[in-house]
Amino acid sequence: MTSTPTNGETTRSASAADQPADQPADAAAYLAGVMVEIDAEVARRRASGELPPALERELDELFLEFSPLGARGSARLRETLALVDGAAYVDTAVPVASQKAAGAYVKRGIQKATGWYMNYVVHQVTRFSWSVSRMLHVLVDHVEDLEQAVDGLRPPDVDLSVVPVAAPSGTWWASLVVEALTGIRGRVVHGDCGDGSLVEALVAAGVDAYGLDPHDDAAEAVAIRGLDARGGRLLDHLEAVPEEALAAVVASGSVQWLSPSERDRFVVLAASRLAVGGILCLHSASPIGWERSCPPVVADLAPGRPLHPETWEHLGARHGLRLRAVHQGGAAERIVVGEGVPSSDALDALISVVNDRLLAPGEYLLVAERVQ
Amino acid sequence: MTAVHQFLSALLPRDATGAHALAVRSAFRAAGWSSEIYVEAAHDEVLHEATYFGRYPGRAVPGDVLLYHLSTASPIAAFLLDRSEPLVLNYHNVTPGSFYAAWEPETGRRADRARDEAAALASRAALGITDSRFNADELTALGCRSTEVVPVLSGIGPEHWRAPRRPAGGSTRAAGGRGTGTAWLFVGRLSPNKAQHQVVEALWWYRRQVDPRAHLDLVGAPVTPSYAAALVAFVTELGLESAVHFHEGLSTDELARRYQDADVFVCLSEHEGFCVPLVEAMVFDLPVVAYRAGAVPETLGDAGLLLDTKRPAAVAAAVARVVGDETLRSHLRRAARARLDRFDPDAARARFVELLGPLAGAPRPAPNPGPGGATA
Repeated sequence: MTSTPTNGETTRSASAADQPADQPADAAAYLAGVMVEIDAEVARRRASGELPPALERELDELFLEFSPLGARGSARLRETLALVDGAAYVDTAVPVASQKAAGAYVKRGIQKATGWYMNYVVHQVTRFSWSVSRMLHVLVDHVEDLEQAVDGLRPPDVDLSVVPVAAPSGTWWASLVVEALTGIRGRVVHGDCGDGSLVEALVAAGVDAYGLDPHDDAAEAVAIRGLDARGGRLLDHLEAVPEEALAAVVASGSVQWLSPSERDRFVVLAASRLAVGGILCLHSASPIGWERSCPPVVADLAPGRPLHPETWEHLGARHGLRLRAVHQGGAAERIVVGEGVPSSDALDALISVVNDRLLAPGEYLLVAERVQ
Repeated sequence: MTAVHQFLSALLPRDATGAHALAVRSAFRAAGWSSEIYVEAAHDEVLHEATYFGRYPGRAVPGDVLLYHLSTASPIAAFLLDRSEPLVLNYHNVTPGSFYAAWEPETGRRADRARDEAAALASRAALGITDSRFNADELTALGCRSTEVVPVLSGIGPEHWRAPRRPAGGSTRAAGGRGTGTAWLFVGRLSPNKAQHQVVEALWWYRRQVDPRAHLDLVGAPVTPSYAAALVAFVTELGLESAVHFHEGLSTDELARRYQDADVFVCLSEHEGFCVPLVEAMVFDLPVVAYRAGAVPETLGDAGLLLDTKRPAAVAAAVARVVGDETLRSHLRRAARARLDRFDPDAARARFVELLGPLAGAPRPAPNPGPGGATA
């Protein structure tokens, strides 16, 4: 591991990345080892609380304040409009200063001689630009009204504090993911990895897996255990990953309640970031199981709702993902007629329908392969 | 006489495309060909090197081949579309207009116009030459039938390229500078796609966590003035006025000195079609920490640390590791030297002559008899 004291010197104890080799494969492994150690160093520092992650976001936001159009929403429009207003004025008083002796006299002469012509043209240009500017003001007013109306319809954000940290170990689907990905070559990312237990199981099975979780603290706790885990959303991470760079994507947790537009983006990104032959494993509640398996606050505030596996299959097929398997699972709740209670075939049949339709296992694991 | 003439929007001193065009012209002339540079505009310093493109029709000779360096929008594109001479397009990439939209919409529109011009010329060109596979793929997507990848010829000349290397471990660059703090360097015009503000963020972080005396040299012209102004204000707000130094218009020697004096080259660009400064950093044994975007991974290969994130904490940690770990620096130095073979300027010049020669009807160069004497 690496530690960096404040004098800028980095001290290192023995590690896998100590001995670079001349062979390209070894060199790549050496650099990969260095990157893992750097990630661990970042996690260690973050865990120590020296500089909280929020500070990074504050730095970005601070820069936005200095950008001319950095403000968001209508403030941004208004600032842009102010620029347009400023540029709409055309000055006919051409500067006549000159570094050459007679230059200023010559320029002044030209200015006087062409003044009638310039004024005529500039008058028309100015009238046009002010008309455009006025029209833009009207447009901005309309846009602001629309924004206000849309804001009223927008679902509130799901606060991370109401989303529990996932613990996939021991779930019915974790072993199926490990089974599906054992032997796969290349990097595998698990989004919403929670306590990292599935990443750990994949690594133990020889898979080059790493995890992401929107809870920075959870990701850091995983990284401290020596696993490759980072804070962040799977969707944002996929944006940053090059095309065809991943051997598999495991999506669980928030993938169930993405908004429709984010869901579309997820399918496109997951398909394009997978190499041909790469695997997508997606765990979700079924629409019926959603209310039973999801924390109430998340269920109420989530911008989207779970899909049927058939819908994921349909969306994925448009981007080259072919369904391999859908596994049903999760806790089932059954209505059972108590002992000694007289029953009838008709009642049993009805109870069976209720059990199958409403109380059947409410989750599924979808496994798909990128074929093109 | 074989004649290959080059066209580019503007010939500027200390500009990558301009330096490349001048180097290519030297290669053509050394091959015994006639070669001139035609431009829309030229800086006073290099005005004698170029001719206004509108004068070309009066000088055109049957058999001429025209080589256009496309990196921005220019009336030269429409001019060349109307010419009948064989056209070769040397595509240097155009930054997508979306990067400028929030800052300077007109610059964004100009960039989009340049992409439209590239598309129009791509299908007309007999050959497309690019400095990276990344750019070649773009050019192919724009409709170019045939592309070749040949490295750009850097403004850092052979005298630097062939300069003796510093002995490993014996440089003043070892382990955190010369008692004046870790010296960070980034070279590239001040533009939103280069994301210098994120380099500044990482430096701020690094100074808080690792080395309070660390400083940064940003070399590049403020081609997007609103972005440059925001950058300066940001630096001031963070209290880094004495730690971040802006430079523009450096001579080649001055630029070389910046590379020599730096401890690490940090590139967090969002979009690069090739990134000449990465090669220059390699020339000067300067370790590189870079964000994986555009053609950066292709140019850098395994000769630097490639990051998947730009978070200041991660960038700062990577810089700390590079600066403090001689084993790693030594590894990167060796990898960079091996990688530089791909960008050898002599080989690139020869390749330009080899590619353009057949189009211009030049006689094939005599085969090298090799150490064994004449070929059969």
